[in-house]
Amino acid sequence: MRAHLRSALLPALGAAVLAAGCIPVQIQAPDEPIEINLNVNIRQEVIVRLERDAAELLDENSGLFGGTTP
Amino acid sequence: MIRALATATLLIGALTLATPALGQAGDPLLQARSQGLIGEQADGYLGFVPGATISADLRGRVEQNNIQRRQLYTRRAAERAVSVNEMAAAVACEVFERRIAMGERYRDEGGQWRQRTASAPVATPSFCGS
Repeated sequence: MRAHLRSALLPALGAAVLAAGCIPVQIQAPDEPIEINLNVNIRQEVIVRLERDAAELLDENSGLFGGTTP
Repeated sequence: MIRALATATLLIGALTLATPALGQAGDPLLQARSQGLIGEQADGYLGFVPGATISADLRGRVEQNNIQRRQLYTRRAAERAVSVNEMAAAVACEVFERRIAMGERYRDEGGQWRQRTASAPVATPSFCGS
């Protein structure tokens, strides 16, 4: 019974995948140019947020980096 | 028995003395930094100063160090769901602020090699924020 169910399910699944592949996808070009400047701001924000992690990495692995300097 | 104990004590003493020395002047990487052969870069890795004569041994040590750094960055970046480059850049900000000694060379975000002197303090990359 279980084997029968599986044998029926597999082709159905295959058919579904094939059908999905055939659906035409329309890609529209954006009306406005993509804003690239945003990336710079996000980057800086991320780096500021990582400040504590960075300090921690340095302190835990002082052998890999130079010593603390005045 | 007594001799064995004395030998062990001597050995431990020698090791204790040798360990800090390895981390200081005996470290070839620290030596190369102070000699201006290599330096910290704004991308979070060590780099070779152009024109410097780099021995195969030193090259290997620098590459090994950078591989270990990359491993650290990769692990922490995954934990914080940021890119490896972003984690590396964040570390570079800290390094530029606190880990470049007087006289050492470093490579800024524009790719330019500079030297920290008394009159020219380290220029922190612009992406560091404050």
